[in-house]
Amino acid sequence: MKSGVVFDIREFALHDGPGIRTTVFLKGCPLRCSWCHNPDGWIRDPQIIHGQAGDRLIGKDYTSEELAALLNEQADILRANEGGVTFSGGEPLEQAEFVTEVCDRLDNLHIVFDTSGDGTETALRLVAEKVDLFYYDLKLIDSTAHRHFTGADNAPILSNLRLLSSLGASFVIRVPLVPGVTDTDENLNAIAETVRNLPGLVRVDLLPYNRAAGGKYSNLGLKFCPLYDEQRELRLNAEPFERHRVPVRIAASDMPIRKPVPA
Amino acid sequence: MRQTSDVPLGAAEPWLVAFDTNRLDRMKSRVRDGEHKRFRKDTVPDVLSECDRDGLSWPRRAARLVRRMCEAEGQHPVIESDDRIVVLRTIRTVPPIYDPQTWSQLTKDRTLHELGPISNICANWGMVLSQGLEGRRQAAAKARESVQDDPDSLEFLDCAIETIEAVLALANSYVQEARRQGRNDLADILAHVPAHRPRCFHEALQALRILHAVVWMGGHYHVGLGRFDQYMWPYLKQDLDSGRLTLAAAEELLAEFFISLNKDSDLYPGVQQGDNGQSLMLGGTSRDGADAVNELTWMAIRVAHYTNMIDPKINLRFTPHTDLSLLTLATQLTRKGLGFPQYSNDAVIIPALVKHGYELEDARDYAVAACWEFLIPGKGMEVVNIGAVSMPAAVDAGIRKGLGQGENFEQICQRTAEDIRQQLQQLVDAYRKLFLPPAPYYSVLMDGCLERARDLSHGLKYNNFGVHGAGSANAADALAAVRRFVFEDKSVQPQELLAALEANFEGYEPFRRKLAEDGPKVGNNDAAADALMTKLFEWFADACEAIQDNGRGGRVRPGTGSAMYYVWLARGKEGMREPAVGATAEGRRKGEFLSANLAPSNNAPIRGPISVLQSFAKIPYRRVFNGGPITMELSGSVFSDAEAVGKVAMLVRTFAQLGCQQLQLNTVNLETLLDAKKHPEKHKNLIVRVWGWSGYFCELGPEYQDHVIARHIYAM
Repeated sequence: MKSGVVFDIREFALHDGPGIRTTVFLKGCPLRCSWCHNPDGWIRDPQIIHGQAGDRLIGKDYTSEELAALLNEQADILRANEGGVTFSGGEPLEQAEFVTEVCDRLDNLHIVFDTSGDGTETALRLVAEKVDLFYYDLKLIDSTAHRHFTGADNAPILSNLRLLSSLGASFVIRVPLVPGVTDTDENLNAIAETVRNLPGLVRVDLLPYNRAAGGKYSNLGLKFCPLYDEQRELRLNAEPFERHRVPVRIAASDMPIRKPVPA
Repeated sequence: MRQTSDVPLGAAEPWLVAFDTNRLDRMKSRVRDGEHKRFRKDTVPDVLSECDRDGLSWPRRAARLVRRMCEAEGQHPVIESDDRIVVLRTIRTVPPIYDPQTWSQLTKDRTLHELGPISNICANWGMVLSQGLEGRRQAAAKARESVQDDPDSLEFLDCAIETIEAVLALANSYVQEARRQGRNDLADILAHVPAHRPRCFHEALQALRILHAVVWMGGHYHVGLGRFDQYMWPYLKQDLDSGRLTLAAAEELLAEFFISLNKDSDLYPGVQQGDNGQSLMLGGTSRDGADAVNELTWMAIRVAHYTNMIDPKINLRFTPHTDLSLLTLATQLTRKGLGFPQYSNDAVIIPALVKHGYELEDARDYAVAACWEFLIPGKGMEVVNIGAVSMPAAVDAGIRKGLGQGENFEQICQRTAEDIRQQLQQLVDAYRKLFLPPAPYYSVLMDGCLERARDLSHGLKYNNFGVHGAGSANAADALAAVRRFVFEDKSVQPQELLAALEANFEGYEPFRRKLAEDGPKVGNNDAAADALMTKLFEWFADACEAIQDNGRGGRVRPGTGSAMYYVWLARGKEGMREPAVGATAEGRRKGEFLSANLAPSNNAPIRGPISVLQSFAKIPYRRVFNGGPITMELSGSVFSDAEAVGKVAMLVRTFAQLGCQQLQLNTVNLETLLDAKKHPEKHKNLIVRVWGWSGYFCELGPEYQDHVIARHIYAM
């Protein structure tokens, strides 16, 4: 039996797919996106974080049986509320065999797979058989910029997307809007052109930049050094998608609502 | 008539009211700014001297108080030019009817409940409205004929009649003032109600306003509003059917009534600002078992959404089969951050009440007291909060004594159960000497008091006591840690645990963290922890069921709430009967708050709200039925879009489907709270639910502010 490393399990994850869902965050990611707000998902091995309340070990090994049993305890509730389970990360493709084993043990649950697409073709084919809906990130189409801001080439990501579509999978394209980086007309237009003719496309979600992105870094002994100006105004720019008749929406920001209680 | 229930999910803003809000926007802001306080007087009628001079009995003093208060208010009726529902309290305090010395003599060796006067119950407003005060006077007159040779009964009825006449005289003063101002609309209304059955919705609201306000003037507090959408519906329905009122006009009247409930509330006695018990129940099952939801249920939620004020406190009864769109509308109200609606699950509560001797029709008619305790309006003289059993103290005593003497886990459990029994016994023994002062006016509003010529203080159909079962999650986590670490994996030596507890974990930080983080925790649907929580409630129920008579012909109802005890049991409070607890074995340091009501321990790592509901669904609610909600804080960001709001409504439905009993959802942002603590001037209107009630954050004591903040840090 496979085992995997999980760094968080969050119930009632409102923005990780349809209905009431529980999201499993798998540890380990090949990318180092400059805006990443989950640096605890980078390294596969469990690690210590130094929080205000003291040290805490993050990352826990689960066998596929243990994780599936935990999730199945809620299966009735998740099904009754049009939801299911979402695998996120980190990059869940890195633990594709573990995830597929967990899926095999789940009790008829809708599965969302939230991926950067940066993984092997084999891994993607493996999970595509089990997953109902992909949340697939596209950040930058320009390969030089992609390398600069994420530390990785985007060629495998783009070819995996075409593969996924050819396999008949359904996917939502998720674009993190980072000020001055991904929110440009040029980039969003290129993304729209990349996805507009893919048959599996459900819609594009634009995810506004979260200014809390740097929150976890210091606890991990890391320094948050964004390669862009965080304070720059974000462009919530859906127009390039509308122009290409690509269904698009701006996903809810996880930022707290700042308005005071209205009088 | 528009069928609100047919509005599909996600339809454009079904929570918005339809009337032009200009007039009431202004009224709201005047009330918020306290402009009406300029009418308040510094003089208080001297009731005491005349009572002493005339050597009046206690019942006559109570009646005289109501009369003099009504007269004093009647001297200066306040009608502002745009008021359509009137009666404003202008006398700040309720004067005494005994001097302190006599009072302490009279109450010596007796137990008073809280401040003394009858509180925290609910009148049968529907009955009083439909009979009118003239109808009540006739009932008293009729009863008077059959008790001619019973001086106590005669005296009671005469007192009741005195209060009825006082209220009618107050109404008449308003009639005169309205005529003087040329407000014949108001004058005509007050010439008819509260004397007679209201002829329309407007009159019903006006009648309720004055009847309710006078209860407070008599020194009572936590005066509940009961099943508002049930007893008010006939009047509204008649108006809507006949075309006398449009839906929008009805909403506007209702909104004005809701605003009026916020005018006097700072004069009400209570633990903190906002804790005034003006609870209003909506929805649920009717007395004959049908679905009781009507147009007024929907309207009241919409109007509360509009008024956005701390009163009235909205409660919603529902079942696992309730239409999701009603829950979605209610969620829009939750989103406002007022801390309500609070939800109660009929499918769990009604059978439990029936099992414990409530008639089925009465059980279907339940409302809540100030916070959450179930009671039947007009039929319950229940004292629903005689105190709390500290589950953490019981477990802690079991652990410290048991481990100290080398006992096994079973013996520790026995000690815990016995401690719970003793704590309960102590409370009940104290309340066997309970003395409830006479309440002639409140009696007028109850079922059967006039008819039987017996004051409310002698009891009604239901006369139970309720006791909070506080700190259950902490207590279960402590027991679970001991079982896991001391008896199962033996990774902890009993002496080490005892020494760490004794040292309040100073010098034992890694050890404390092991207890706090690695043990089984309530709130994670963890079988080990949840089974022990269930055990604690069973021991509590055993102890309550063993008490055959509480001294008032009732029993003792175990509950799941904590009220303020999550603070008091952790830090102690002067005069408290309950034991305070030090450091506890779930890794909690001395003085740290216990969890409020049903919530995971504050330091427990929790996956989220689904597991929390699953854990608390295991409580034997058929036996533990005094009420006490699962309490969850949701971050404001949870409500970022219509889809997310719909998911929160699904979560509420899940709560009922799992068989949980009661739920409080609060919405608040940590950022806002921290800022409000620092800059209270910027957050004058920030409202948070504290335990049974909502209040202005900036008016809470710093310790309560800190707890709300701490709860939020651990919130899901």
